[in-house]
Amino acid sequence: MSAVLSPPPLSEVGFETSVAAQIVVAVIVFAVMLQLVPILLLAERKLLGRLQGRYGPNRVGPFGALQPLVDIIKLASKEDFAPRTAATAIFIVAPVISLFTAIATIAIIPFGDTRTDGLFGADYGLYGIDVSIGILYAFAFGAIAFYGLMLGGWASGSKYSFLGAMRSAAQLISYELAAGLSLVGVVMMAGSLSLTAIVNEQDTMWFVLPQFVGFLIFTVASFAETNRAPFDLVEADAELVAGYQTEYGGMRFAAFMMAEYMNMITFAGIATAMFLGGWHGPGPGWLDPVWVMVKMAGFMALFIWIRATLPRLRYDQLMSFGWKVLVPLATLNIVVTAILVVLV
Amino acid sequence: MVQILFFIAAIGAVGGAVAVVLLRNPFFSVLALVVHMMSLSVLFLLLHAEFLAAAQLIVYVGAVMVLYLFVVSYVGGADEPIDDAGVPRFLAPVLGVSLLFVFSLAVGGSGLKLLGTRGGDLAEGFGAPADIGELLLTRFLLPFEIASYLLTVAAVGAVLLARRRRGLEPLDEAAGSRGEGAR
Repeated sequence: MSAVLSPPPLSEVGFETSVAAQIVVAVIVFAVMLQLVPILLLAERKLLGRLQGRYGPNRVGPFGALQPLVDIIKLASKEDFAPRTAATAIFIVAPVISLFTAIATIAIIPFGDTRTDGLFGADYGLYGIDVSIGILYAFAFGAIAFYGLMLGGWASGSKYSFLGAMRSAAQLISYELAAGLSLVGVVMMAGSLSLTAIVNEQDTMWFVLPQFVGFLIFTVASFAETNRAPFDLVEADAELVAGYQTEYGGMRFAAFMMAEYMNMITFAGIATAMFLGGWHGPGPGWLDPVWVMVKMAGFMALFIWIRATLPRLRYDQLMSFGWKVLVPLATLNIVVTAILVVLV
Repeated sequence: MVQILFFIAAIGAVGGAVAVVLLRNPFFSVLALVVHMMSLSVLFLLLHAEFLAAAQLIVYVGAVMVLYLFVVSYVGGADEPIDDAGVPRFLAPVLGVSLLFVFSLAVGGSGLKLLGTRGGDLAEGFGAPADIGELLLTRFLLPFEIASYLLTVAAVGAVLLARRRRGLEPLDEAAGSRGEGAR
């Protein structure tokens, strides 16, 4: 009876690949991506140090390479405490939401095309999933990710945390709109939402050239979406101590931190796939994932460079820049792209 | 797998909806509504309506409920009971039951025919953005345009009402500080 009532399996309407391939690809992708976080942490501190005329971490291990490991051990050995004013259950769940959504989004970043060499007895792709809604999947999880910050700030029962959470609410909504609109131009040119299809469209020309305005808007919006300088008002240390994560310590704080860096990686991956030609590059086919990684590393270096260069915006500047500059510009970009796509 | 997901989502949807009504703290009420919306989007996904599921998350969970949460946590109101809106209390269950009756009629008149079967046949690419976009621009063009017109009217009206409530501000000055309204 239950077999009769159940809807047709997903493979009938969507994509199909063997279970073994799915598991292997998922494990490889996530094992590699999770290792990127400590590397990124170290690279950021090193690069920031150099940009500010100092050395950065250089005491633990060769060239300070073991610094992230030591940091994690320190955080892991700390007590997980909650303030007496906190709503404890939500306080505990909030970092989990943040981390879960950050990791889930990585599934759509393509590291290579769909392979047909029959390694697993069926076609498989060098990505977690390739869904028809494509980039909307990332934005759907971005929508849930916001609750991690919001609930964390609210449940802490502290004024600094609460103000940080409120700021994050306004900032994320404003800039998510701009980020979404900036990608519509690319979607129109490629004629698909699927990230692999978009990358395949870029084999002759990367979309960063025809969609340069969209790329600029997306880059700026992604700084705001990941709470990075110059848009880190959510955790502006001079006024809010640390914003929504003020009351967090130990591994809960580490979870928030990790989610933030995972978001950076995700946005770098989306920018690579949407604008920078994804896996396209000279060399044999097995270099595809390497090219993706190189481009992502370049985009993340830009994140760090900007952080070292620009001071933080004022709150009203943040809002008026988002609504009066980025959103109209992104809309204009869509209109112009639409006309050109029809005419050319 | 599908059955397990369905029951988790169904329990989330029904439980969330009940909790919205029963919880006394408005903040938790809104959170229950968020759980409800997310469960609904899982149900959409199980019905192969991928685009609808994503739209549900982005629009409702990501924008509408965020604003609810924003307002509720700023205004607070956890100490004040929600009742005493000037409406007699017995009206609420009466209205609720009659709404349930109307919905039951609507559901009974349409979808139940397929109960116990495997459901309708799905074409290739069903529920994908391309399909939905084509339908919106051909078969459902008029309703689509009317809906967007209605939304524009609502947005303009909201701006106008918000400005009037602030009182004495003259028009040209208000135009200069529109960025504050957007906050």
